[in-house]
Amino acid sequence: MENICVKDLMVPISEYATVVVGTSLIDAVLALEAAQEAYCASKYEHRAILVLDDNKAVIGKVGQLRILKAIETRYDLGCDVEKLSQFKFSDQYIADKCEQYRLEGPILDQDSFRATANKKVEEFMQRPTPGEFVSKESSLDMAIHKLVAGTHLSLLVTRKEEIVGVLRIGDVFASVFHEMRKREGELET
Amino acid sequence: MNELQKLYERIIQRVNINLRELNFDTEPYSTGIIQPQQMDKFYAFYGITTGHPLNLVFENSGLAGSYFLGKCRISNSLLYKSDIRGDELKRKGDLFKYQNFAIDLNDDESIDIRTSALAKTLVHNHSHDPETPEVFFIRDTLAMDYANIHGSPTDGAFLGPFATVDLTTVQDSVIGTYSYIQAGEISHMRIDPGTIWVNAPDQFNFYYRHDPDLLKKYATVTPGERPRGMIFDFIEEREEAFQRLFDAVNVDVIESVPKTASLDRYAVVLPKTTIADNVLISQRAYLEDSYIGKGSNAQENCYIIHSKLEGYNVTAHGAKIIESDLERDVFVGFNSFLLGKEGARLHVGQGCIVMPHTIVDIDEPLHIPKDHLVWGIIRNNADLEKNSISFDALKAEKTAFNKGNLHFEGNGYLFVKAFKDRIDHILDANGAFFDGANNTGHAQRNQNLSLNTIQPFQFGAMKGLYPNITIEL
Repeated sequence: MENICVKDLMVPISEYATVVVGTSLIDAVLALEAAQEAYCASKYEHRAILVLDDNKAVIGKVGQLRILKAIETRYDLGCDVEKLSQFKFSDQYIADKCEQYRLEGPILDQDSFRATANKKVEEFMQRPTPGEFVSKESSLDMAIHKLVAGTHLSLLVTRKEEIVGVLRIGDVFASVFHEMRKREGELET
Repeated sequence: MNELQKLYERIIQRVNINLRELNFDTEPYSTGIIQPQQMDKFYAFYGITTGHPLNLVFENSGLAGSYFLGKCRISNSLLYKSDIRGDELKRKGDLFKYQNFAIDLNDDESIDIRTSALAKTLVHNHSHDPETPEVFFIRDTLAMDYANIHGSPTDGAFLGPFATVDLTTVQDSVIGTYSYIQAGEISHMRIDPGTIWVNAPDQFNFYYRHDPDLLKKYATVTPGERPRGMIFDFIEEREEAFQRLFDAVNVDVIESVPKTASLDRYAVVLPKTTIADNVLISQRAYLEDSYIGKGSNAQENCYIIHSKLEGYNVTAHGAKIIESDLERDVFVGFNSFLLGKEGARLHVGQGCIVMPHTIVDIDEPLHIPKDHLVWGIIRNNADLEKNSISFDALKAEKTAFNKGNLHFEGNGYLFVKAFKDRIDHILDANGAFFDGANNTGHAQRNQNLSLNTIQPFQFGAMKGLYPNITIEL
């Protein structure tokens, strides 16, 4: 596995779906859909889009879960709930309140959908954390370690300071699986 | 730049250093706290009684219009029309009970204010911090108009207008406009405006936040400006009545006050007001056309107008009662604003607890049934339904509930009991239960109080500051 490099498996940024800051949630969903239809390089679907700033630098990522969270308005409406921990309410009480707010209203009624459709990507995108970057020259071993340790679904691939691609967990898994199949005979005891 | 301005800048810097982790800058609020040009216009005064130790130390401070009672030390601070009331400080030999500790006091407790600026702020009660039972300290603290620092040592704090900290040690925290905090101890917290939080660990936790948009109508502050809102306007409109008291050396004695009651010389009493036995009216209280029933009290900065208090009513610091009828044993908490109108009076049933910082503003008559807890902003019956609960229902709550913006966790019975016990203690301390021989309190003891004045420098670099003065027996 050490002979396989990150750059062998990454999706180049030029082929990845991107949107710029200020894009609305509905436009982000459309971009993700278009990317899924257009990108056929592997049997794994395109599950995320990248968010670029005005200088074309990657500042965040939007996946399906993030979009669903943004749409689930009742979760966000419990703004007081987020403060209850600061005011020393128990974890159980806070969990009960979150669940109560979640169940109180329909997710996709006319008003809530209109409000969330216009949310900007920067409000709900996932900002990359330090452990989420991997050099394009790194070995696949290193990438696997970072994916596992950080429980990430993808890593941002860098060349010096620049983000040049995305390494998706699905592609890494496919590569590992392929290698295991190849060595199936050797592994049998 | 004169010495007063330099001192003010030093105070602001010290507070900012304490609040740096919260990224809170007090400087923009400074124009709303101390106005240097006002600091040489008012004398300060202190009370002498036979019941409290006389030990006052003033060092490098401005004290304009402020009042001192008991054992106080003020250094490198600016106080504007603030009340430093040390009549409930602990005394040498007292046993201060805290949880399982019975703490023996080595010395008389003192209020120790350092590097702080307080505007129209009340400091009262005693330190509830078991680590410093002999010192009620207020350090590196800025408090805006009508804040209450009640039994709450502070070290690095900003209190917005009408903010109250009650029985809580405050460290490096910001308390927003019209917030009330009673939580034992807080550290590095930034409390949003309109937050009401009463927390007794392992017993109960009460948290409510006023709707910020609604609250702005009543009390708000913009950095760089003076506080504003309906409550602020209400007070300012009556400021002139107090000026007469502060300008005159002697004021007419109101003969109709019973011998068992106490009416402070710096309280405004306008016709036709009746004061019954065992009543305590504190300085800066304002009474107009009202009946104050037996054993009731009106504490500092209270306003009672066109109202009837049947008896044993506690009107806590800063509470305002207008066009209202209160049955017996009603408690109106700190800074509450009960605004009935002519033809739309408010009636509060027996034993009710109006939570601190509650606003009632009605255009139609409203009746609060007996033995209810009320909170929030109440403008009509629908609001009352949302923002009240009967004691019976509350006592039945054993784990948690929420109602509107109120979150409550813990034992409702203990919550009601804690409030009732405290109200009983307040009435007792104020002399409400005096029977002619026993159970004396502030209402009886404060009658033997005389006041003295001290003056600031009127010229030169020290203009507005006071000479260093020590007054002791």
